[in-house]
Order: sequence, then structure tokens, then C-alpha cells
Amino acid sequence: MNELQFLTWVRGPGLDAAVAIFLLGTVWRLIEIYGLGRKKDLAAPRLTPGASGWHTIVRRSVPPEGMFKQSPVTYVGGYVFHIGLAAIVFLFAPHIKLVEGLVGLSWPGLPSQIVDLVSVVTLAAMVVVLVDRIKRPVKRFLSGFEDWFTWAVTFLPVLTGWLAVQHLLLPYTTMLALHILSVEVLLVTLPFTKLFHAFTVFGSRWYNGTVNGHKGVPV
Amino acid sequence: MTLPDIPVAAATGTLTGNARAVLGEVATLLDGLLRTGEGGLIDIRGLPMSPADRQWLLEQLGKGEVEILMDIGGRSRIVETGLPAVWWIEHRNEHGVLASEFVQVAYVPELISAHPDDVESGLEALRSRISELS
Amino acid sequence: MRANRILDTLAGQGITRRAFLKYCATLASLMALPPSAGKAFADALAKAPRPSVIWLPFQECTGCTEAITRSHSPSIEGMLFDMISLDYQETLMAAAGHQAEAALHEAIQRNMGKYLLIVDGSVPLGLDGAYSCIAGRSNLETLKEVAAGAAAIVAMGSCAAYGGLPKANPNPTGAVAVSDVIKDKPIINIPGCPPIPVVMTGVLAHFLTFGGLPELDRLGRPKAFYGETIHDRCYRRPFYDQGKFAKTFDDEGARKGWCLFELGCKGPVTYNACASVKWNDGTSWPVESGHGCLGCSEPDFWDAGGFYKALSMPARPLKLEPAAIAAGVVAGAAIAASSRSRKSAAKAAHETTTLADLEK
Repeated sequence: MNELQFLTWVRGPGLDAAVAIFLLGTVWRLIEIYGLGRKKDLAAPRLTPGASGWHTIVRRSVPPEGMFKQSPVTYVGGYVFHIGLAAIVFLFAPHIKLVEGLVGLSWPGLPSQIVDLVSVVTLAAMVVVLVDRIKRPVKRFLSGFEDWFTWAVTFLPVLTGWLAVQHLLLPYTTMLALHILSVEVLLVTLPFTKLFHAFTVFGSRWYNGTVNGHKGVPV
Repeated sequence: MTLPDIPVAAATGTLTGNARAVLGEVATLLDGLLRTGEGGLIDIRGLPMSPADRQWLLEQLGKGEVEILMDIGGRSRIVETGLPAVWWIEHRNEHGVLASEFVQVAYVPELISAHPDDVESGLEALRSRISELS
Repeated sequence: MRANRILDTLAGQGITRRAFLKYCATLASLMALPPSAGKAFADALAKAPRPSVIWLPFQECTGCTEAITRSHSPSIEGMLFDMISLDYQETLMAAAGHQAEAALHEAIQRNMGKYLLIVDGSVPLGLDGAYSCIAGRSNLETLKEVAAGAAAIVAMGSCAAYGGLPKANPNPTGAVAVSDVIKDKPIINIPGCPPIPVVMTGVLAHFLTFGGLPELDRLGRPKAFYGETIHDRCYRRPFYDQGKFAKTFDDEGARKGWCLFELGCKGPVTYNACASVKWNDGTSWPVESGHGCLGCSEPDFWDAGGFYKALSMPARPLKLEPAAIAAGVVAGAAIAASSRSRKSAAKAAHETTTLADLEK
């Protein structure tokens, strides 16, 4: 198999299989999670200011008092790479073209030099949070295989995409194919790992906030 | 319907900014020429420039005092630009089509000076002519 | 000996040293060599001898030959044709039938081990090679025989280099590339449909001047011409970087000459010199005329997912998705139901604790 055949495969059967597994897993996990149901809380709700699902969604997006000083790397690094990832994934013209090709939606993108800069910053932020995770005893203690693995499958698409655009290391065709392949690996693993937080993060915050809000506790 | 009715035109009017880089390289080569005596050649066709970029570059370099025309398997034209020691070289084929284009940084473009081998055969020819005359 | 040198041959035709230097400068430019290479090129080329060239056409459309012969004379291409001795080329030679075959065998005998073999067209292996025969012999047989005495082989065009159109899915004739058949000779691939004429002459010039093959990439192509992608050298590249794309072939973007990526241009994955060398005497090239690159110098470009599909788009429509979603719904529902039944089972099994129990 030569580079172009490899690329055609990842753009064809590979993409088809990856998207299929991604959809299967996502639908499955969402139905599974939301199908669980919860026992109805029969107690009368206690209304306390700041205690609701929506409050929690917002509150957990900002560091609690004193936490920022304790682990600035987690907050800054985390924000930078999450925003960076979103910008790269949704505002790079070829990516928009892919979405358009798949579902027909399209929106304006960013100039490629800006996406390029964002990629470098994102890669740097991801490396920083990884180093922080390794160096801090508590974080390291809390980390298992899944944490290292999900970091890698998130990092690789950004790295290979950037290398492809920059024409570094390997010929563009090969690097582009590797980039698409790494995204397919990400798609396949996303529903079955912690990466599923992409779908559940706000839902679970809202749920926790609502349950505790009913009891009058702002969390 | 005639051609001008079709609202499609070749993209010629857009500056890409790539010509600016050429000016920087010319400056570097000129600096090198002054310090080491060695200039250099920039291949204009090898650079991704739009026709507007080429025009812009020509305007930036300006026009100097010397223009050399050569009939060597098609026209070739060497023009001194407004910058001394910077030459614009155009090679055309026998159909007048532009085959290659360079900016050369040199006191005198190499192509103009005669090759010692050719000088030698010229000298031989001259000597035999002189001997024939006497 | 001196009369066999190329520069002297050319001098006999009234081509001066300056003209030759000019040609070499242009050739170096077209080969994307550093401009200074033109002179080094001229120095070496001037001293080189004329080699014998045998050109075999196999499963092909003669487009490659057309392209080469349409290169105007006395261009570099024309000049280089004067520099070689083209001993067998079915389309161009006056001889036919047995005479042509005799010329072929004479050329082989006379220049054993020294001639350059150019092949255009793929080699069909199906039905024992019966899909394409010349003089009653299959292409496979002829290729093996002529290749045995060649110094090097040039696989001209995408068919000879990679199988090309005949090899397109489902490859009815079992077409393969020259390199699939011949393993023990140096092979230079000059892909393209057709290849750029000057690429061939550039390779010939290299063979003549330096006596060997130019530096080749992983797919056997000379790096001088196939070292960079169409996209890298494209004059529309700045629009790609700015995110300005033509969306259809007649919209505002198309009129302004914006990037053709979204219209399916394969420039980013295609290694060729069209963007710098151009076609028809340097008049224009596909992207300049408003059409994206098809990627014709890449292996299996016919089967690379469609000429008008952007590279970032799926190569073929997704098929598995409806089934996957259905399966996801079923799996999710089944697991949710099982969770619920376990929950109600746990609830049913729950024993109520009474005050009496606690006092036990």
C-alpha cells in the first residue's frame, strides 16, 4: 500500500468504520446513562440562592477560592488546550469542509496561520499539563493507564495535523493519512473512555447541581 | 456572446506578498557581493508569484542605464535595474515565449563575458585571417 | 572523440556556447535546481557523449509521446532529442513491421548494456499478457528481453510508473508497473498523465551529464521535479492560507482566482512540477486555468476518491452509520433495561429495617 492508497483508505473505509463506532458508542453510552433514571426526591425543595444545575455548570468552570494559586498549571493549561482544541477542530477550513461533506453544515473558518499558531500553543499546553501530571506526586498517584492513554490519543491528532501542515518529518501525504488515522483512533476510543466527558461534562454538572440544589446546597 | 461577456478573468491583479521576500534576498546578495565579490542568481519562475507580484517587483527594482539584447536561440534581454549590480534577465525561446527569468546580482552578468575557449578559437581565426592577408 | 561531444554536435548546428548556457540555465530553473547549477550543468553536459535510446510502448494511449513531441523546437526538449540517438520509437520511426523489429534488435546488439530504455504504458499480466502484444509477443516478454541489456530504464508516464489508468479498479487486464516486472535494473519513474516533457529531458540531461540516475524519492521519481507538492509551489497558495476558497467553478471566489482546495484540488498530495514548469510553452497549467489538480503523477490517482471531492472530505459516502446508530440505540436500550431490572430486583430484595431489628 502506498501513501495515496493509505490516505484513500483512511478517508474511505477507515473513516466510515471510525464514525460508525463513534456513533454507536455515543448513542449507546448516552442512552445507557440517561436511561438509568433516578429515584424521585419526595422532600420539598429548599431554595437557596446559587444552588441549581445552571449555577453549578458555571461555578465549576471557574476555579474555587484559593485553588488557582495552588495549581495554576491545571487551570491555565487546561483552559488553553481545551479552547485551542475547539478552535483547531471547528475553525480550520479543511475541518469545516469535512463537516460540510458529512452533514451539510458550514461556517466561516480562521486563516491557516492563526490555526497554526493555536496548534503550537495547544501542543505546548498539553505537554505542560502532562509534565505537571508526572511531576506532582498527587496527580501522578491519581493517574492510571486511561489517563496517559487518553492524553496520547488527544495529543497525536494535533501533533500529526500540525506536522502535516508544516511538512515536517514525513511527506505530507503520509502525515495527512496518519493525522486522519489518529483522529479515527480518537473517534473510536472517545465513547468508551474518560474522553466521553466531551458529551457528559455539562450534563453531569447540571445533574449534580440540581440534586444538591433541591437540598439547598450550592455545589 | 463574445469572450468579454463572460465575467471570468484570470487572476492577475492580486498581490500575494511573496515578491517582498525577493527584495530581502536581493539585499542579502548585494551585501555578499560587496564583501566577498560573489553575487548570486534568483530564479523568478521558481517562486510562487502572481503576475501582479512580478510587476510589483519590477517596479520596486526600477530601471537602470544598461540594456543588453542577445540573439542566442531566441531573444535574451539583460536589463540593469535601478540598483547597480542588480540585473533582470529574460530568456525567450525562438517563438518569443518567455522560457526563464532571473534576477542576477553581479558586477557584470556572467553570460556576457566571453569564454576563454571561444576567445582562443577566435584568436586562431583572426591569426589565420591575418596570415591570409599578408 | 571531440566530435562526439554534445557541445560540438550542437556547434555543428550553429548553437553557440552562450545559447547553450542559456538553455542550461533554463533547464536548471525548470528542474528547480539552484540557479547556480545551470553553469555546472552546462560544463558537464558539454562533454557528455550521445547515448542510444530505445522506447517501448505498451498498454498506453500515446499521450506521453504526444506530449513529448509537442514540445516546441528548438527547445531544450528539441535540443536534447538531438543529443540522443533514438533508435526505436514506433510512433516516430519511419520503419514498420519486420524492419522496425530489426532496428530494435540491432540497437540492442550494438549497445548491449549501455542503452537507455524508455517505457510508456503498463504491462498487462492477465491471460498470459495477451491483452497487449507487439510483433506477436506479449509486452511482458518484450520488456524482459529489452530490459536485460539496458543501462537504466525510464518508466514514462503514470501507466509505466504505477500502472495508471489500465490498473484502475477493477484492473481488467491485470496491469502492473514496469517496476513490478523488472527488479534488477535501475528504474526512474516519470509519472504524469502525461508527464511534463521537460521532466523527461531533464532526466536525460542528468543521465548524460552525470552518467547515472538523479536522486529519486520513495516512489522512484526524480526529486528535482517531484520534490515538492503542487500546493507548495502554487501561486494560489496564499489564498489557501488566508482561507479564501472558490466554492463552485463560477462563483466570486473562482473569478478572483482563489484556492481550489474545496473543489477537489489534489495539489497538497501531488508531487509534480506543473506549478513552476507549466504546460504548452509555459502558457498555463491546470490550476491557473481554474481547475484543481487531479493528482495524475501519484499512484492510483484514478481511485483516490473522486476528482471533485476535497481532500478533507470522505473518499466515499459513509455507509455504516445508520446501522451503527441503530445498533447503538439497541445496545444502549438493552443495557439501560438491564440496569433498571437490576435496580428493581435490588429494590425488591431490600429488607425493611425495623426498630426491633436495631435493638437486636
